[in-house]
Amino acid sequence: MARQQPYETVEPPLNSRRSNPSGSFGLKPTSRFGPETYVLILVSVITAYLVLPPLYSVIQTSLFTTKFTGELDEFTFSFYQDLFRELQVLGPLLNTMYFSVASAFLATCIGGIIAWIVTRTDAPLRGLGYFTAFASFGTPFILYTIGWLLLLGRAGPVNFWLKTLFNQTEPVLNVYSMWGMVFVESLLWSPFVFLMLAASFRSMDPSLEEASAVCGARVWQTLRRISLRLMLPAFFSVVLLIFIRAFESFEIPALVGLPGDIRVLTTSILLDAQRMPPTYGRAGAFAMLLMLVVAGALYAYSRVTREASKFHTITGKGYRPALIQLGPWRYLAAAGLVVYSFILLVLPFLIVLWASLLPFYMQPSLEAFSQFTLKNFVTAIHFPKLTDSIKNSILLGLGSATAVMLLTTFASWLLVRTKLRGRWLLDLLTTLPLLFPGIVMGLAIMRFYLIVPIPIYGTLWILLVAFVTRYIPYGIRYTHSGLLQLHRELEEAAYASGASWTHCMRRITLPLLTPSFLGGWIFIFLLSAKELSMSILLVSPRTPVVSVAIYELWENGQVGELAAFGVIWTAILVSIAVTYYLFARRYGIQQV
Amino acid sequence: MTAIRKFRENGATFFLLLALMAIFSLPRVLRAATVEEIAMIKSADRQKILVEGAKKEGKITWYTTLIVDQVVRPVKEAFEKEYPFVQLEFYRGNSENVVRKMLAEYQAKRYDVDLIDGTVSPVMVQRAGFLQRFYSPALADYPAELKDPQGFWGSTNLYFFALGYNTKMVKANEVPKSYADLLNPRWRGKMMWSTSRGSGAPMFIGNVLTSMGEEAGKAYLQKLKAQSIAKSTASNRQILDLVIAGEYPLAVHIFNHHAYISKSAGAPVDWYPIEPVTATIQTLALAKNAAHPHATMLFLDFVFSEKGQKVFQQSNYLPAHPKVNAKQADLKAGGGRFKKAVYMTPDVQFDKGNEWVDYFQDQFLKQ
Repeated sequence: MARQQPYETVEPPLNSRRSNPSGSFGLKPTSRFGPETYVLILVSVITAYLVLPPLYSVIQTSLFTTKFTGELDEFTFSFYQDLFRELQVLGPLLNTMYFSVASAFLATCIGGIIAWIVTRTDAPLRGLGYFTAFASFGTPFILYTIGWLLLLGRAGPVNFWLKTLFNQTEPVLNVYSMWGMVFVESLLWSPFVFLMLAASFRSMDPSLEEASAVCGARVWQTLRRISLRLMLPAFFSVVLLIFIRAFESFEIPALVGLPGDIRVLTTSILLDAQRMPPTYGRAGAFAMLLMLVVAGALYAYSRVTREASKFHTITGKGYRPALIQLGPWRYLAAAGLVVYSFILLVLPFLIVLWASLLPFYMQPSLEAFSQFTLKNFVTAIHFPKLTDSIKNSILLGLGSATAVMLLTTFASWLLVRTKLRGRWLLDLLTTLPLLFPGIVMGLAIMRFYLIVPIPIYGTLWILLVAFVTRYIPYGIRYTHSGLLQLHRELEEAAYASGASWTHCMRRITLPLLTPSFLGGWIFIFLLSAKELSMSILLVSPRTPVVSVAIYELWENGQVGELAAFGVIWTAILVSIAVTYYLFARRYGIQQV
Repeated sequence: MTAIRKFRENGATFFLLLALMAIFSLPRVLRAATVEEIAMIKSADRQKILVEGAKKEGKITWYTTLIVDQVVRPVKEAFEKEYPFVQLEFYRGNSENVVRKMLAEYQAKRYDVDLIDGTVSPVMVQRAGFLQRFYSPALADYPAELKDPQGFWGSTNLYFFALGYNTKMVKANEVPKSYADLLNPRWRGKMMWSTSRGSGAPMFIGNVLTSMGEEAGKAYLQKLKAQSIAKSTASNRQILDLVIAGEYPLAVHIFNHHAYISKSAGAPVDWYPIEPVTATIQTLALAKNAAHPHATMLFLDFVFSEKGQKVFQQSNYLPAHPKVNAKQADLKAGGGRFKKAVYMTPDVQFDKGNEWVDYFQDQFLKQ
C-alpha cells in the first residue's frame, strides 16, 4: 500500500488507463454492469423523478397566464419582461446583491471560525458549538426573527441600553435597515456553515499542516495557506447555498427590510402574489433567471474541482487531525464560543422565552416580571391536534433526512468518483430544487400527485416526497465536499484486496464519510421541521404538521402564544438533536 | 338440480317482482339526488331529508381560513353535539391556500371538499365555476349585503378595521380621530401597516377610494404617502403586538377585536374607529360536487342560525347575524362606538383588489 501510493499519484498512464467510468480499477475485473452501474441508474432515475416535475412546472408557470380555474391560459413572455424591467431599476438589484454577498460572507466567517475552534483546537467548551448550532437552528424561523426585532427594535432593550450609555433620546440602532437584514440572515445561516465546515475540518489531513508547521509556518499561516485552501469545496458549497438562499429569500427582507423601505428583487414578487387570481409567473421567471446564474456557477465549480486530488485530505496515512495547541489563546477561543452562543442562541431565545411568559408583550423590566403567567403555554398545549402535529413533523424529519442523505451520498459518489461527461448536469439537477419558489414547487407536487395514479395525495408520503426533493441540494453539498476529501486510494486499496464495490462502499467509503453524512442529516432534520410553503398546501385534515401550526399562530395568535408554542417545539427539537449528537459521537464521530 | 327447476317454475313471478321493484325504486337507484337538488330543497320535510341523508354520509370536510383554536373548534363541538352522527373535518390555510387546494383538486376531479370560507376565497372559486348555490332558511334574517344575491354564499362573521394605538405613547386627546388627522406631521414615521391584500394597506386604500371617491381619495392618499408609514408583511395581529411593545405608536389598520382582546388582558393598547371604517365579511359556501351534501346543508343551517351565531359570539368573533350582538357589543357597527362602515363584499374585493394592490405598490412602495 505504502509502496503503491506514490506510483498511483505520480504516474499518469495508470490514470489514463482508467477509462472505466464505473470506478473500479485495474486489479479487479468487473462486468460492465456492476452494482455501481445500477446505482448510477437508480440515483439518476430517482433524482429525475423528484426534480423534473417541479422544474417543468416552474418553466410552465413562467410562460403561461392562468385562468380562474387554475388551468393554463395563454403563452406569454410578459413575466420575463416585467422581471427585466424590474432589473433595470438599479436600487432593488443592488440591494439584493449587497444583501446576498454580505450575508454569505458574514455567515461563512462566523460559522467557519466557530467550526475551526470546535474541531481543530484544544479550546475548552467545544461541545457548546454543537449545542448552539442545533438549538438556534431548531428555533422556528419566524420566532427567531421576531426575537431579534424585539431585541434590536426602537423600543428594545439594546436601544434602551445604548440610549442610556450615550445619553441619547432617539434610538441609536435602526434594525429596519440593510445591516439589520444581513445580521439576522447571517446569524440564521451560520449553524449551517458551522455543521458543514466542522465536518470538513474534521477530515483534514494533518500531515499537510504538520509539514507546514515543520517548515516554520505559524498557526495563522498554516490556516491561511494550507487548511483554508484544502477546504475550498466546502467553502464554495456554503457560500453558494447561502448566496442563493439570501438572493431569493423574501422573509427577512420583508420583515426586517420593508419597514425601513429597503426593497429587494423579491419584494415585488411577494406583493405580486397577492393579485387575484394568484399567479406565480414572476416568481417562476425569477427562478429561471436564478437557474442560469447557478448553472454557470456550478459549471465553473465542476471545472475547479475536476482535479479532485487537490482536495484530498483523507488518505491512507491515517487522517485523524491533531488538535492545534492554542496555549493561552485557548481561553480567548473559548470566550469566542461563549460570545457566539450568547448572540446566536441565548439572546434571541431569552427574549422569546420572556415573551412567552407574559400576558402581552412588555419590554424587559421588573414591573413586567410580576405579571409572569403560564397562560400562553396552556393555550399552546391545547392547540388542536398538537400531538399528531409533533409526531408527523418528527416522522417527516427522520424520513426526509435519512432519504436525502442516502440519495445524495450515492449521487455525490457518482459526481466525484466517476468520469462521466455530463456529471455537472447531475450536480445541477440536484441543486435545482433550491431555486424553485416553495409555493410553486408545492403546487407542482400537489398537481402531479392529483393526476398520476400514485395514491399518496392527502397522506404523509406526499409531504415526504416534497421534503426530500426540497432538501436534496443541502444533502448534496454536504456529501459532495465530504467525498472530495476522501482519497481514491482508500477505495482502491479495498478493491486491490478483493473487496466488491458494495463491500467497499459499506466498509470504507460510507464510514469515512460519516461526519459529513451526520452533519447533513441533522441539518436536514432541523430544516424540515420548519418547512412551510409546501407543507401548507400539502397537509390534509388528517396530516397536520407543526410548522403550519406555527404559521397559524404567527398570522393570528399573539406574540406570547406564538412564543410559547415555539419554546415547546424548540425544546423538543433540541432534545432530539442532542440525543442524536451524543449517539453519533459514540458510534460515528470519534471526537468532538 | 331441483333448485334450478324450482327457479324455472317460479321464474316468471320472480322476474315480475324484480321488475316491479326496479320500477318503483328507479328514481333512487338510477339517479341519487344531485348536490344541486339537495342544496335547493325548500319542502316542508327538508330537515328530515337532510338528517336522513347526513346519517349515511357521516362526515363533512371544510377548507377554512378561520382560526382553528379560536373558533373552528368550538363550532365543530357545538355542531357535533347537535348532530352526533356527523364528523366535521377541516383543513386550515389562508385564502390563497384554500383556493389553490380546492382548484387543483377540482381540476383533477377529486371532490374531497364540501365547504370553503373566507373574505374573498369563495368568490374566486365561484368564478371558476366550482360553487353550488344553496338555500338555507336561516339566511332569511340577514340583510342583503351579507348574503350573495345568487345564493352562492352566506356570512358567518364580520371584521371591522380600526386605528390601534399604544396608550402609553399616545394620549387619549391626541389620538387621530379622522382621516385628516392621520396627515398630522407629528405622526410621520410613527405609523405601521400591513401589506396584506385582505386586511392591510390595500384595503385601507380601497376604503378611501370608495368612500371619498376616486379623485378626492387619490388626493388624500398622495398626502398620506408623505407620512412614510412603515410597511410590514407581518399580520395585523403581529403589527398590533409591535405597537404594544412600543415599536410604533400607531397601527393604521388593524382588527378592532384584536385590540379589544389585548386591552382586556391589560396591554397598553386601544382602538379608535376612523369612520367610515373598513368592514370585511367572512363568507361560507358550498362546493359544487360536495361529497356530503346533506350533512353540509345541516351545517350551513346551523352556523347561520342564531344558535350557531352564538358560538361565534362566545368565541369573541363578531357574528354576522343582525340579531346576535358581539360579546363586546361596541365592536360591531351600530354597537355604540361607530355607525358608518364600508362593507367590502367578496365580489368588490375580487374585482377591485388588484387595483388597490397595484396602487399601494406604485405609490407607497416604489417611492
